Amino acid sequence: MEKIIKFSGICKEFKIYQRKKGTKGIFNLFKRDKKIVHALKEVSFEIEEGDIVGYIGPNGAGKSTTIKIMSGILVPTKGTCEILGYNPWKDRKKYVKNIGVVFGQRSQLWWDVPVVDSFELLKDIYNIPNDEYKQTLKLLVSTLKLEDILNRPLRQLSLGQKMKCELAGSLLHRPKILFLDEPTIGLDAVTKLTVRDFIKYINKEWGTTVILTTHDMSDIDALTNKIILIGRGQLLYNGSFSAIRHKYENIKTIEVEFKKEYETLQVDGYEVISHNKNMAVLKNLPTIQFNTKEFISEIGKNYEVVDFSIKSMSVDEILARLYSDYEIVGG
Amino acid sequence: MRSYFGLFKMSFKGEIQYRTKALSGIMTQLFWGFMYVYLYTAFMGGKIIDGFSISQMATYIWLGQAFFAMRYISLPQNCGAEISNGNVCYKFVRPVNIYDQWFAEHLGQKLSATILRFAPIILISMLLPNNIGLSLPASFTSFLLFLIALMLGCLMAVTLSMLAIFITFKTLSAKGSITIVNTITMLLGGMCIPLPLMPIGVQNVLSWLPFRYISDLPSRIYIGNIGTTDALIQIGISFAWLVALIILGKILMKKALKNTVIQGG
Repeated sequence: MEKIIKFSGICKEFKIYQRKKGTKGIFNLFKRDKKIVHALKEVSFEIEEGDIVGYIGPNGAGKSTTIKIMSGILVPTKGTCEILGYNPWKDRKKYVKNIGVVFGQRSQLWWDVPVVDSFELLKDIYNIPNDEYKQTLKLLVSTLKLEDILNRPLRQLSLGQKMKCELAGSLLHRPKILFLDEPTIGLDAVTKLTVRDFIKYINKEWGTTVILTTHDMSDIDALTNKIILIGRGQLLYNGSFSAIRHKYENIKTIEVEFKKEYETLQVDGYEVISHNKNMAVLKNLPTIQFNTKEFISEIGKNYEVVDFSIKSMSVDEILARLYSDYEIVGG
Repeated sequence: MRSYFGLFKMSFKGEIQYRTKALSGIMTQLFWGFMYVYLYTAFMGGKIIDGFSISQMATYIWLGQAFFAMRYISLPQNCGAEISNGNVCYKFVRPVNIYDQWFAEHLGQKLSATILRFAPIILISMLLPNNIGLSLPASFTSFLLFLIALMLGCLMAVTLSMLAIFITFKTLSAKGSITIVNTITMLLGGMCIPLPLMPIGVQNVLSWLPFRYISDLPSRIYIGNIGTTDALIQIGISFAWLVALIILGKILMKKALKNTVIQGG
């Protein structure tokens, strides 16, 4: 497949002015403390046509900054970016015809007119031929189940209905690339599933390349195996999610209940997380391959066990672990 | 072009929904109209100042009030909020020129606001006695020239509003930038004190500035204070100012957008 997004050596710096707290803030009138924040540091990656890529990282990692650079809103301080053969910020007008953007926390539709009027205007803005518009709209309306809300003003819609309309609005011109910045934020379970199914459908039917940021790992789980991990403005990992998952899947948490109380507890190859009376929580060291049979024989040497349960790491835990391993914490 | 016309239509339709707002606008304009007419009648003390009679003054004031909605400096709807909350980023991801997009939206908004307001004010002021009400235009020619100058004046106000957007990008305060540009425009454009009542020296200076083409020029053509040839020349100058200010606005906007930072997730 052809690489349609080439992002290389991108840096973005922001200047921020710091204020002194309290009454000292008055001195800011005369002198402001300037601080340079490096939102992105030498980030490079490539994305192939037709992919769904999850762009993940903790809060403040630089995800939205990257999306904004890719959609031509922000100009990076350094580096080059080529998408579909265009430079997003230099060829902005020509380039943005080929992309659709949804920012989960913002709205692109007009607030006080019926949704369909907003769509009509987008048709004019993107210069979509009438037949094509009708066809696309019909498809979007039926797959996203918009029939009942199309004629209502946006301000009357619920968050989920709004998100579905935003998605439809960003796809009316059948873009080649779709950028979604936290598309499932605040949505209920049913709407989340509809949105996910829809993203998959668009990707399969139209071959739309989708780049999405999210904090909901079940989004990633449901949509894609390709992730790009970013933290503190640096690219940390670019590859398959299953590989990462495999790495952490081996680590199990074991809750053990003993027949009587033990003063000390020590098991070879296992780390004791907590120990209270006849209950304990253990974790295997990453160096050993977990095996239930071996665990029983190992712990059975010195202790009498009544019951135990084994838990694998959840997707969220894996991610939290990943962040802490890379020493990146949300901010 | 189709996209800008679409944006124009959308904001035209948006503004026309606000009928109560229009009604309160009409009341306000009538109040100011009466106040100004009586104030300047007292000032002029029955004299004709520089060929500007009391009934001409009244007509000048009423025209100013009737078309106030297209002259008042404001920002396109939601524009101030969009800039400070970051929603303006959606303007960037559409294949349209951002300056032109706002221009079209603002023009639509100003025209529909004017259409909702001007007729009742014109009607009421025409029914008033001659020396405090709106008189008929000096001639048919001056009426036609008035219409042209009126439209150019509306465009000029939109252009100046675009400069207010530029200031909003710098200050992130829509209210502040509107106040700055509006105060300057009102005062220097003769919308508070009719220009013919100002001292000659001040008038000479103000005639070099673009602000008077918004309201002063159309009104003076209407009352016949400016002859046909002179009116045509002035319309030409106002057109030149318009082009120059649009170019300036586009350059400034481009600069502002380059430095724009959309913050937050």
